[in-house]
Amino acid sequence: MTITWTDWQAIAVPLVLALGAVAALLVDGFWGAGSRQLKHLCVTLVTAGAILFGFAFLVTQRNSVRPGFCRAAVEAPAECSIVFEPLTVGLWAVLLIGGLGVVGLSTYGLLDREIPVGEYHFLLLSALTGATVLAGARDLATIVIALEVVSLPSFAMVALRRDRRGSEAALKAFLVSVLSTAVMLFGISYLYGVTGSLYLQTIATQLPGIDPDLRRVAFAAGLFVIVGFGFKIAAVPFHGWLPDTYAGAPVEVTAFLAVVSKSAGVAGLLVLVTFGVAPSGSELRTVVAILAAVTMTVGNLAALRQGEAVRLLAWSSIGQVGFLLAPLAVGDAQAVVGYLAAYVVVTLGAFGAVAVVQRHRPAGLLTDYRGMIRSEPGLAAALIFFLVVLAGLPPGLAGLFTKFAAFQSVIDADLLWLAVIMAVNVMIGLAVYLRWIAELFRLPAEAPFSVDIETPAVTVISAYTAAAIVVSVLPSTLFTLIT
Amino acid sequence: MSTLLIALLAVPALTAMVLWVLPVSFADRVAAVVGSVISGLVLVGSVWLWIDYLRPADGPGTLVGFETAPRTLPGKLYPFAETDLEWIPPLDVRFHIAVDSISIPLIMLTALLVFLCCLYSLRITPRIGRTRSLIALLLVIETGVIGTFSAVDLVLFFLFFEVVLIPMWLVIDIWGDEHDAAGRRRAATTFVLMTVLGSAVMLLGFLLIHRQAGTFDLEVLGNNPVAGGRGVPLAAAILVALGLAVKMPLWPLHIWLPDAHAKAPTVGSVLLAGLLLKLGSYGLIRILLPVLPEATTTIAPYLGGFSTVAIIAGSLACFAQTDVKRLIAYSSVGHMGFIGLGIATMSPEGLSGALFANIAHGLITGLLFFLAGAIKDRHDTSDLRTIGRALNARLPRISGLLVFASLASLGLPGLAGFWGEMLALLGAYRPADSLPRTTFLVFMVIAGLGTVLTAAYFLRLIRNLCQGDPAEYPTTAFAVDLSRIELLTWTPLVALTVVLGLAPWLLLDYWNFV
Repeated sequence: MTITWTDWQAIAVPLVLALGAVAALLVDGFWGAGSRQLKHLCVTLVTAGAILFGFAFLVTQRNSVRPGFCRAAVEAPAECSIVFEPLTVGLWAVLLIGGLGVVGLSTYGLLDREIPVGEYHFLLLSALTGATVLAGARDLATIVIALEVVSLPSFAMVALRRDRRGSEAALKAFLVSVLSTAVMLFGISYLYGVTGSLYLQTIATQLPGIDPDLRRVAFAAGLFVIVGFGFKIAAVPFHGWLPDTYAGAPVEVTAFLAVVSKSAGVAGLLVLVTFGVAPSGSELRTVVAILAAVTMTVGNLAALRQGEAVRLLAWSSIGQVGFLLAPLAVGDAQAVVGYLAAYVVVTLGAFGAVAVVQRHRPAGLLTDYRGMIRSEPGLAAALIFFLVVLAGLPPGLAGLFTKFAAFQSVIDADLLWLAVIMAVNVMIGLAVYLRWIAELFRLPAEAPFSVDIETPAVTVISAYTAAAIVVSVLPSTLFTLIT
Repeated sequence: MSTLLIALLAVPALTAMVLWVLPVSFADRVAAVVGSVISGLVLVGSVWLWIDYLRPADGPGTLVGFETAPRTLPGKLYPFAETDLEWIPPLDVRFHIAVDSISIPLIMLTALLVFLCCLYSLRITPRIGRTRSLIALLLVIETGVIGTFSAVDLVLFFLFFEVVLIPMWLVIDIWGDEHDAAGRRRAATTFVLMTVLGSAVMLLGFLLIHRQAGTFDLEVLGNNPVAGGRGVPLAAAILVALGLAVKMPLWPLHIWLPDAHAKAPTVGSVLLAGLLLKLGSYGLIRILLPVLPEATTTIAPYLGGFSTVAIIAGSLACFAQTDVKRLIAYSSVGHMGFIGLGIATMSPEGLSGALFANIAHGLITGLLFFLAGAIKDRHDTSDLRTIGRALNARLPRISGLLVFASLASLGLPGLAGFWGEMLALLGAYRPADSLPRTTFLVFMVIAGLGTVLTAAYFLRLIRNLCQGDPAEYPTTAFAVDLSRIELLTWTPLVALTVVLGLAPWLLLDYWNFV
């Protein structure tokens, strides 16, 4: 394969993120014996700087289309490996918001002291590099590599706190990930065999006119690729690893998994489904729709039975992925990105609040939150707001309207059965979050949670709350991420 | 832009925010006063809106009858005090609110009941306290209900419809029956989950309408209704009707209602029965009939059938109740059945009957739940067997009011409860031409039997509760008969019941659907 031309600006953001990762590691390595706090601050600034560059790039370039690593094709538009276009802008915005949010959750005093700060930020930025590449990737090889670049740092992050739970959690995620990569590669090899190309664009044009005998092979191949992604985003029935991994990792890392890692998986699947293996009308879309229905139902039902905050969020994040898969199954990128953006903001907020409570009450039970509306009114109000957005009820209009958009795209695609299952899941999901909200409101409590909340925690949670309020008042901002 | 209508929406919600920001101890003391003043202002504002609406635009300020818009399509909106702003263009959602002669009386009812609840809370609050949050939640509910009554965009309607859910859930969950913590939590959760499922189903119907018509705007949809009684319009109509039937509630979707009403605190029951149920019937009138007329014709016989069953089933269930609040709750099922039947006839009489019964039921059942709450507070139980008989001797004034409210509720001519049900029956006698008349005649006869049953169980209630030998049931020493705040709170309800009973044209004149 000869690369003929490329627009380097297409990969400017991943490149800067990767450089930032190296810089963070170097700052940490050469710091010497100086103040620990100052070191933490410097590393954080490096990371935040790299991410903010990404935002600046998105703002200035949001209307442009920049293909990268292209080669001219015969009688067709050029085949490119990575494309910066409006969809990429939306996905990158979500990923960068998620990354910045996790950096905020990991500032000095909030991050577990056992976690080495340089490595942590290095891994975070590496994963973000992979995530951004994944969202822009337009050929299967790039997708697989980018997905691995997201996954490998994630396991290392899970295991950064060197205790038994962390290693167990990391190992579980690692084994599942290896398996999923194998499954995906298997599917990709067949796709290549059937269509003769790794470029999504060519695959999409080849698939409809394929030899009828090969149609079933192509279907199976596409199925394998989707199943591979199913493991990554923990769609049911490929979700077994997620609750233990979430519960075993430090809360900041769990937030990272729930936000960046999950968004990356969804972004990859979105690219794959809309541009390549499952053009509209394909049976694979039905598969994704079924996956969506099963995922949201199982995730929400299991979340109903959880007594720990992190496990509840873990299972409910499975339910949320189910909701994300619904518009994805009909190829409505706008609804997916909007949903993802709202989900990212409030999940960060919820994990931020959980982190505050867990630092003082490590058990992390829902009953630890009893009576917080009186003892910690600010934190409780913020947490309630995040949960209400996740449930999709007023006043959480961001959640309500992103769910609404998901419903709309599903109805417009004539999938009434999926819409009905989604409606039932709105109810189950509400039941999940109401259990938690009820604990917060319950008075009088025996020993309500009340501490001096760390200043950085107050700052970041306020920021997430403000963001969630803004997107609730102006939900159209969520849907204009893709112009 | 209509500042008045926006103020009616915004002021209660903003006041709730302010109350929550204030320090607890201070806010707990002033909450009821603030709530009373603000909801009083909202009441004044809503009455002003009504007067404004009746006043002809060109002439001097004299009141005239409703002549401006002859209605051909029942429930169609003729917007007044309109505000139409762009909100979420990618989803085709607008912030579009307006009112007309159907919605303003309901808004006045809302403002009145919330005002009375706040007034009542000045002196009488649930034992657990936390008055600040209670009042704030009542005000949020007020915003949600007024918003639902004034929404012109279907999505906005859905949104305001959902606004009331979590506040009401909290009201039942926190301030509900203090003797039965598990029961009130279960009741609250059942209420919120069933209603949220209903509204999600309703949303599916809205989205189908949007797919068919390309707009969520009720004004546009009213002028260009979705044609066709089969396929997608029919599916949309069924989904919308199902969703609203949960809220209303129509048999057999009423199962959340008895528990929710019985476990809720007094003010919660009043608002639940007086206002929240009306959201369902209002939605049927405002959305189902004008937007999907042909599809509604297809489902109207079923709607009428379920309503008739609701009348009978609700009345029969009342005979089996031993709890006074549950009994009133079940009587609501019967009354909402009459409203459903009136709507299902799609006739001018039936429609105006349903609208009138909406208002009358809000007033009378509000009063009944206030009275039930008063009786419950005095006996620390709402179990009829424990309360005993001879209330007439022990609490003569409360007992007298209970008799009055029961008579009004069973439809005594001369009181407000009569007209709505009479007109609904008349509508069933002469349903719209497109509907099968025989079926509706059967409904009419059965519903007529229902009125007899209603009379029977209310008279039985009066007999079992109010009458009896005073010697067997001695007066409780500390039980006060009608307190001053109760008198103040209930007088408007009693007065309006009489006024609307004697002068139904005060409202009926503005509902000409010919």
